[in-house]
Amino acid sequence: MTVIERGEVAFGTTGRNHCLLHSGGRYCVTDQESAIECIEENMILRKIMPDLLELNDGLFVAFTEADLAFREQFLEGCAACHIPAREISNEHARAIEPFLNPNVLAAVQVPDGVFEPFRFCLAFLATALQNGATVRTYTEVTDLVCAGKNVTGVRMRDYRTGRNESLSADLVVNAAGPWAGEIAGKAGVAVPEIPTAGVMVALDCRLNNMVLNRLNKPSDGDIIVPQRATSVIGTTSWKVEDPDLITIPPEHVDRMIAQGEQLIPIVKKVPMRAKMAVARPLIARAGIDAREVSRTFECFDHERDGMNGFVTIAGGKTTTARAMAEKVSDIVCRKLNISAECRTRNTSLASYRLFFQQPGSYRASFPGNPEDRFSPEHCNR
Amino acid sequence: MSKLDYRKLSRASRWLDVRNRKLGMWAYALNRITGIGLVIYLYMHLFVLSLLLRGPTAWDSFVALARSPYFLALDVILLAGILIHGLNGLRIALTGFGIGVGAQRALFTTLMVISAIALWVAALKIFRV
Amino acid sequence: MNTLKVQLQIFRYKQGQSPHYDSFVVDVPDTAHVIDAIDAAWAIHDPTLTFRRACHHSSCGSCAIRINGVEKLPCITRITDVWDGHRPLRLDPLRNFPIVSDLVVDVTSFFQRMSAADMAMTCEAEAFLPFSVDTFAVADLDPKPVDLPENFSRFSRFEQCIECGICMSACPTMAADEKFLGPAGLAAIHQARKKTDDPVKVAYLLGLADGEHGVWRCHSAFECTEACPQAVDPAGKIMALRRELIVSRFTKMLGKRNV
Repeated sequence: MTVIERGEVAFGTTGRNHCLLHSGGRYCVTDQESAIECIEENMILRKIMPDLLELNDGLFVAFTEADLAFREQFLEGCAACHIPAREISNEHARAIEPFLNPNVLAAVQVPDGVFEPFRFCLAFLATALQNGATVRTYTEVTDLVCAGKNVTGVRMRDYRTGRNESLSADLVVNAAGPWAGEIAGKAGVAVPEIPTAGVMVALDCRLNNMVLNRLNKPSDGDIIVPQRATSVIGTTSWKVEDPDLITIPPEHVDRMIAQGEQLIPIVKKVPMRAKMAVARPLIARAGIDAREVSRTFECFDHERDGMNGFVTIAGGKTTTARAMAEKVSDIVCRKLNISAECRTRNTSLASYRLFFQQPGSYRASFPGNPEDRFSPEHCNR
Repeated sequence: MSKLDYRKLSRASRWLDVRNRKLGMWAYALNRITGIGLVIYLYMHLFVLSLLLRGPTAWDSFVALARSPYFLALDVILLAGILIHGLNGLRIALTGFGIGVGAQRALFTTLMVISAIALWVAALKIFRV
Repeated sequence: MNTLKVQLQIFRYKQGQSPHYDSFVVDVPDTAHVIDAIDAAWAIHDPTLTFRRACHHSSCGSCAIRINGVEKLPCITRITDVWDGHRPLRLDPLRNFPIVSDLVVDVTSFFQRMSAADMAMTCEAEAFLPFSVDTFAVADLDPKPVDLPENFSRFSRFEQCIECGICMSACPTMAADEKFLGPAGLAAIHQARKKTDDPVKVAYLLGLADGEHGVWRCHSAFECTEACPQAVDPAGKIMALRRELIVSRFTKMLGKRNV
């Protein structure tokens, strides 16, 4: 079992997400399938990676009459999706979040949480390594090896050495996010994906302890996720041709600040620490706007497209990453005639720090090992 | 020297590398340079004192040398080393116990200014003798 | 939106070859951060360029490099803050780490040290907002106390340290002592110590700090605290550990005299 990643862990889409451990509240009216996935995974992740989560819950807050009108549907949606939701008084909401826009008309508390994507991924990969997997980072899949109607392996380039290598496989799982279409193309099959980018803005100080959401249908810039000493406002969406090269449109950054101001008026006065943009791997549905496309995930078994030994997993959110992996693994086991049950629901994850201490992935050495070379001072400039 | 020794030496020599570094690093490097200087001085001093064992002529000829302006200049350099190392050492002792860690740069600047003033006054006195 | 034509000079090294610098010229918006320029160089000019990155907002700590010789996180460093418009922007990997390739360093031993300290990533949040590492950002904002929601005894937060390794690169003792726990390791020991009362664990942590590669190897250069992008103040934490160790030594000495 080998994971091949062309950069560092979380180099692609997962790395630059909004860090929101969804309660599902955001989708409980417009996309209930996704909402149910989210709350289930939320509860599982709280059990298996408790130390990698800031668990301060979240608030959905109404500021306008339109927001207030949505309140009824929202509470019904939460109940329908089994999301624990509790309405709190407007005064209490303002006391909990002193920088919240004071014009609070209603506030509902939900079990939102915050993670950071790099350590999230490291924890899963460290556990995988402990269970016998190999992880090859800085290695890019350059081609799929096909024998007739079968995918039998991959060709890849290790960028640390520049060497090309081949790896044969019983089955290849394409989990390349917005690049899944590109990979699938190497086997002559298509994946209906529209890479859709979004911008997030991280501020130079943390203005909220809980995740703050606008109580209304999902729209741009209606969430502020806190983490460590920052608050991150997000997000927008626009289709991109090349997920490798996304230029952040300044209007989107301005819109994030303007939208953020409606939740926390003082965001305009705080300097910006960072901004990030990356392409979501949205699954295309004919005639539907990107904001309304379901955030659920889908597994494509390309046997139905005529290629055996090749499976693509696409769509989804980081919150549901484990569920996606479970679904793919079940399919893989079925195709390879392995009867095993997925145990990840109840397996506490290994310490994320262990990912970098496996002799297989990196040399286990302290600096100054005689074989290790080259500080730039030795370079002639 | 084996390859391994050379690597260790080149790494350890980075204590001298103050490029792109801040005031704390300057204090660190200065303390090491003055420290090495003072150790060398210590050995020289003990050697000079050993001249006493060789009787009055040996000692007197040394004292005559010690009066020359070049030697007095070396004395001033020695005093600079003592002041820098001593006062910076005071700063390190304080911060090492957690006192004034936040003000370590201001402490360094102040103590070095005091050293400079003390050195100037001392130099004047030394050369007037 | 104005565009800058940025010249980059990036350190290149592949195993088995000799190190050198490659020049790149990229067009980026004037509001771009250094990581955007590296990304553009990789995406447009050279896909063999290896560099670390994940979050682009200083939570993962993976992108740490040296920009014109100074340790920084390129994801929060604006190009206009470090580039004078004339000389190329020089990018080097961190010091005191073995180099894997180009800007990627081997962080195995770093994480071994952090595992030894075993600091839990979550901690208790301050009872007020705003919370910032940048004093200028909050200069106009008065600290406001926060109430807790009904079922909460405390808010939680991640530790400030993002394990970026910048302090390890800036520290002169790291260069001299191969096994030094380093500012990050010692700061983590301090944080872990603060969170536990278990005498076995405390003895273990203070033993590490008091050991051959612990707090006494620090010789007060303070470069770690200067370079840290997350205001962890490792030097302050090392000194706090020293204070605890000294106090416990004295109390033990006095204890023996009374017996």
